[in-house]
Amino acid sequence: MKKIKVYIGILGLDQHELGALAVARMLRDAGMEVVYGGRFNLPAAIVKTCLEEDVDVIGVSCHSWEHLFYVPEIIELLRQRGVTIPVVVGGSVITPGDRKKLVEMGAAQAFGPGATEREIVEAIRAIAGGRDRT
Amino acid sequence: MNPPMTRNHTRSGIPLKDFYTAEDLSGFDSERQLGAPGEYPYTRGRRPQAEGGWMQRELSGEGDPARSNAQLQYLLSQGQIGLDVIGDSPTMAFLDPDHPIAAHAVGTQGVSLCCLDDYRVLYKDLPLDSIVVSGSLPPAIAVAGLYLVASERGVSPDRLRGSVIQAPFYAEDCGYAIQMPFQLRLRMACDCIAFCAREMPRFHSFVEDTYFFSEAGLNGVDEIALGMVEIRHVVKELLKRNVPIDSFAPRIAILVNCGMDFFEEIAKIRATRRLFARMMREEFGARDRRSWSVVITSHTSGLSLTAEQPVNNIVRGAIQSLALVLAGVQALEISAFDEAYRTPSPESHRVALRTQQIVYLESNVSKVVDPLAGSYYVESLTDEMENRIRERIREIESMGDPADLAEKGWFRRFFEQAMTEYAAAVAAGTLPKVGHNVFRISEEEDTLLKEIVEGKIEPCRERIEAIRRYKETRNVDSVRLALDALRKRAEEERENIMPYVIEAFRAGATMGEIGGMLRLAYGWPYDPHGLVESPF
Repeated sequence: MKKIKVYIGILGLDQHELGALAVARMLRDAGMEVVYGGRFNLPAAIVKTCLEEDVDVIGVSCHSWEHLFYVPEIIELLRQRGVTIPVVVGGSVITPGDRKKLVEMGAAQAFGPGATEREIVEAIRAIAGGRDRT
Repeated sequence: MNPPMTRNHTRSGIPLKDFYTAEDLSGFDSERQLGAPGEYPYTRGRRPQAEGGWMQRELSGEGDPARSNAQLQYLLSQGQIGLDVIGDSPTMAFLDPDHPIAAHAVGTQGVSLCCLDDYRVLYKDLPLDSIVVSGSLPPAIAVAGLYLVASERGVSPDRLRGSVIQAPFYAEDCGYAIQMPFQLRLRMACDCIAFCAREMPRFHSFVEDTYFFSEAGLNGVDEIALGMVEIRHVVKELLKRNVPIDSFAPRIAILVNCGMDFFEEIAKIRATRRLFARMMREEFGARDRRSWSVVITSHTSGLSLTAEQPVNNIVRGAIQSLALVLAGVQALEISAFDEAYRTPSPESHRVALRTQQIVYLESNVSKVVDPLAGSYYVESLTDEMENRIRERIREIESMGDPADLAEKGWFRRFFEQAMTEYAAAVAAGTLPKVGHNVFRISEEEDTLLKEIVEGKIEPCRERIEAIRRYKETRNVDSVRLALDALRKRAEEERENIMPYVIEAFRAGATMGEIGGMLRLAYGWPYDPHGLVESPF
C-alpha cells in the first residue's frame, strides 16, 4: 500500500517550529511520509511544492495568526488549479473560535493545542483516505 | 487520585535523593565556591545589598510605534522602571513592513519599527536619561535608533542605560532568523559591542539571550552551556580586534529562562554566575571586578504555559518568579498568562507586573541576599549544575570551532532534536503539564479568562502604506549615498560598520534596506525571500 504523504510547513514569518516538528515526528512514527517545508512559506510556494510532491494532505502550522489569512489563499490557489488536496491547520494559538472559522474557510480540519497525538494521526489518516486521487 | 510521581531527577537529569545532609557537601569549600555576596566568584550574586530588589518589567510592544509608546507610558505609570520592547515578526526578521511576506504580521506580535522616525515616536516623552531601555530587537538597528534619538534630544549617549540581545550563533536556527551569513552576524555583534563600549559605556550591549533558544525545549544544562559557548567565542573575537576585555565585559548580561523545576533553576543561575566569573578572571584575565560579576536578567518560560485553563499560568508565573528572586536576578519578566494564545493583553500584563510587586512588597523574600546559601541541597545541586555545564561546554567545543559548528548546521540539528524530544515527552505525559496532559477538563468547562485569550491584535495594515509613503517622500539621494558607503565598509573586513549603519539610519534608510545592503556586501541576495528587488 502506498504511504500517505503529508506536507508540513510553517506560514509567513512565524518562527515557532516546535509544533511543526512534533507533528512531523508523529506522522513519520505512524508510517507516513512527510515533506518538511520548514519556515517562511507563502501560499503560492506551498501549493507549488505540494503539487510537485503529489502530497495527500497539506499541513500548515502557525503560532501567530497569519493562518487566518493564508489558509483561504491556499485553498483558493488549489481551486484555481483544479485540485482538491485537503488542507489541515495546526497551531497552539488556535482557539476554539479559530477552529470553527478555519473549517468554515474550507480547511479539512484544524487542531488546537489540546489535540492529542492519536487524534492528529487518526484524523490525517481519515482525511488522506477520503482523497479522490483520480 | 494523583498520578504516580515517577521522576526522581531534575529536568536536566540530575538524580535526586529524598534528603540531603552535610555529607553531600563533603569537600565543599565555602570560601572558594561561594565567597560573600558581591565577591568573587559571585555565586551569591553581584551585590551585597538586598535593597532595591530587581528591575520589574514586562515585555511589550504592539502595533505601530505610537501605540507602543502609549503602552510604554502606561507600564511606567503602573510602577515599571525599565522597558523591554520587542519587535513584531517582520522587525525581528530584519524586514520592512512593506515586504510582501510581512503583510499579515505587521504589529501583531510586537511593535513595527523600521526607520529613525519610528524610534522618535516610540521614545516620545520618555525620559531617556533616567530609564532603562532594553530592546528585543535587531541590535545594531536598536542601538542606532536609541543613539540618534538621544543625541537629538540632547541626552548624551554615554548616559544611556539599557540593553540589546546579541545572538549571532543561534538566532538563525530557532526563533530570530534574519537570513544573513554567519560571518556577517558575528561581525555585526562584535561591531555593535565595540561601538557601545566606546560610545555608550553604561549600556549593556551584549545580552546573551539563552531564553529564546532554550524555548526549543532545552534543559538548564544545555541552555547555559550553549550560552557560554557563544559568549566565549564572541569575547575571543573582540579580543582579536584589540577591544580590551574590561571595556565591554562589565556590560555583558545573560538573559536566562526559568521553567518549573524550582530548585534546579535557582542552582542554574548560581552556577552560571560562578562559571562566568571564573571564565572572565582566569581565562580572559579581566581585572575590573565588574567584569567578573555577570548581570542576570530573566524571563519566565512561555513554553511551560498551557493553553488549557489559562488561569493556571498565573500560578506558574508566580512560582517561576519566586525562584528567580531567590536566585537574585537583576531584572525579571513574567510570560503573561494569555501568551499561549496571543500577544499579551493589557489585563495579563498587569497581572504579571502585580505578581512581581506582590513578591517584592508582600512576601519579604528579597530582604536578604541569597537566602538559600548553605543549604545542603541547593549547594550540592549548584555544584552539580556547574560540573555538568562545564562538561557540556567541553563536549561541544571539542567537536570543533563553534563557528564551524554553526556554519555546518550542527546547532540547527541540535535544536530540531530538542524540540522533537520535548514535544514527544509532553505528548507521552512523561513531562507533566497540568491541564494539558494530566487533569484535563472539557472545552465547555474551560471558560475562565477565555474571553481574554480569544482576543486578537489585528495586523496594522495602515503601517504598510505609511512606510511606502515615507520611502517616496524622503531624500533618496542621501539615502543612496549612505547605503553605498555602508556597503563599501561592509565589504572591507576590518572596519567597524556601526557608524555607517547609524549614518544610513540618520539619512532615512530603513532597516530592510540596510539589511539588504549588508547581504549584498557578503554576496547574498538582497531579499532572502526572493520577492523584492534592491531599490538602490
